[in-house]
Amino acid sequence: MGEHKTIMGKDLYWMNFFGLMILTLIEVAAVGLDLSPETTGLSYTEKELTLFILVGIGLPKFIMIAAIFMHLWGDEDSKILTLTALFPAFFIIVMILFIGLTHPEATTGLPEWCRPGFYN
Amino acid sequence: MSGEHDEHHHPSAWGPHHWDHGAPHNSWAPLMMSIGFGIFLFMLASAFNNDVVDASYIPLVMVGLLVVLFGLIIWWRQDMSFDGTYEPMSTGTPFKNIQIRKVGMWVFLMSEMMVFTSLFSTYIRYRTGIENCQTVFERGDWVEQGYTLETGEALICFEPASHLIASSWWHIAPGAINTFALIVSSFTIVQALRYASKPVGEIDENRRKKLVTRYLGSTWLLAIIFLTLKMVEWFIGFYVPEISFLGIHEHDIKSLVAEGYMINADHYHHHDWVDPVTGATMLADISVGASTFYVTTGTHGVHVFGGIVGLTYMTLKASRGGYTPKNAVSIEYFGLYWHFVDLVWVIVFPFFYLY
Repeated sequence: MGEHKTIMGKDLYWMNFFGLMILTLIEVAAVGLDLSPETTGLSYTEKELTLFILVGIGLPKFIMIAAIFMHLWGDEDSKILTLTALFPAFFIIVMILFIGLTHPEATTGLPEWCRPGFYN
Repeated sequence: MSGEHDEHHHPSAWGPHHWDHGAPHNSWAPLMMSIGFGIFLFMLASAFNNDVVDASYIPLVMVGLLVVLFGLIIWWRQDMSFDGTYEPMSTGTPFKNIQIRKVGMWVFLMSEMMVFTSLFSTYIRYRTGIENCQTVFERGDWVEQGYTLETGEALICFEPASHLIASSWWHIAPGAINTFALIVSSFTIVQALRYASKPVGEIDENRRKKLVTRYLGSTWLLAIIFLTLKMVEWFIGFYVPEISFLGIHEHDIKSLVAEGYMINADHYHHHDWVDPVTGATMLADISVGASTFYVTTGTHGVHVFGGIVGLTYMTLKASRGGYTPKNAVSIEYFGLYWHFVDLVWVIVFPFFYLY
């Protein structure tokens, strides 16, 4: 644990805690409230808007916990430990890629050159 | 503290260890644990073979677990410097001069990320690959195809738990409270670390003991609340009383199991799945969706339970004044695990409960 850090003069952990609480409130509200008026005239549905908000909020929450509570930001060992934490990212990408390739439309929806049986 | 290993001293392979002589270099613990895991897995496979349960193997399963537990206790006694006298440092690249326990915890978390990634990728695969039950219901062709309560034929579709959970504020409540409980607990654990690591002289030792115990105890309590609400959500449900000035009517909130949302639900029907024209009710096999939900959130719950076990020990230790700046890193390393549990929930909550 490094020295006592602050954001805008306030304690870093308190600020992080309040930030996480606010983001979670927005998350719950995005699901509980009727967002259909917000999507009128747009090319996406209410469900897609909700997903967009949830991903948009989930990412900063993830980073805030990892960087501040788990001390991946600002500590002397941060660099190597962040790299360690990111190491599974490679496997995550592989897994998601495999999900894409095993999707029912993978054999018809993909370009011909990456379909099974194309060897030229 | 002595970082130098005494070449003439041969520490016991069973522990406890004299830390003045440096880190131990011999131990029976890994071998014992390997043998224990071997007995456990082999006997477990023998006990549940081809859908037949052979109870005669169960005592041997327990023996395997006991051997693992015994190995763990030896390892713990041997490797842990409970008062922080000696904190072994890593010597090899790329973790040189970083505490071994810290590196070990991060490598462990890395493997945990893989476990949860496989669960998430399974979820994504099924969610995108199998048609959503509500979509099928709204399309309406299930009536002609005969997937109705009357015929008893069920169609396979993906029913996300969020269809039940996000249907009202009351249904979201346990999951939402749990989300806040985990965030608060992440905060309380860093506060415990803060007070435990304050330099001697900067804080009165009694106050340190009180604050560290209070914050660790709060984290423990929040973890208990988390699992209790999970039980309420899965199995028990709850009662909402009449609060007329808020316009709330008396009603029961059913648990997921009471709603029929179970891993073996191959003849499930949601109360809204009634065709307005024919009056037929759609029948669905939702076992895939329910399994991914229960396995993922259950695995997370098991991690919370593991945290409770650790927190029980740590809170008791703190109440006896067991944490000082010398060994406060133990709280930090446990905190890493606990924040990881919170981190996983940050993903589980929106994608399994809300979307």
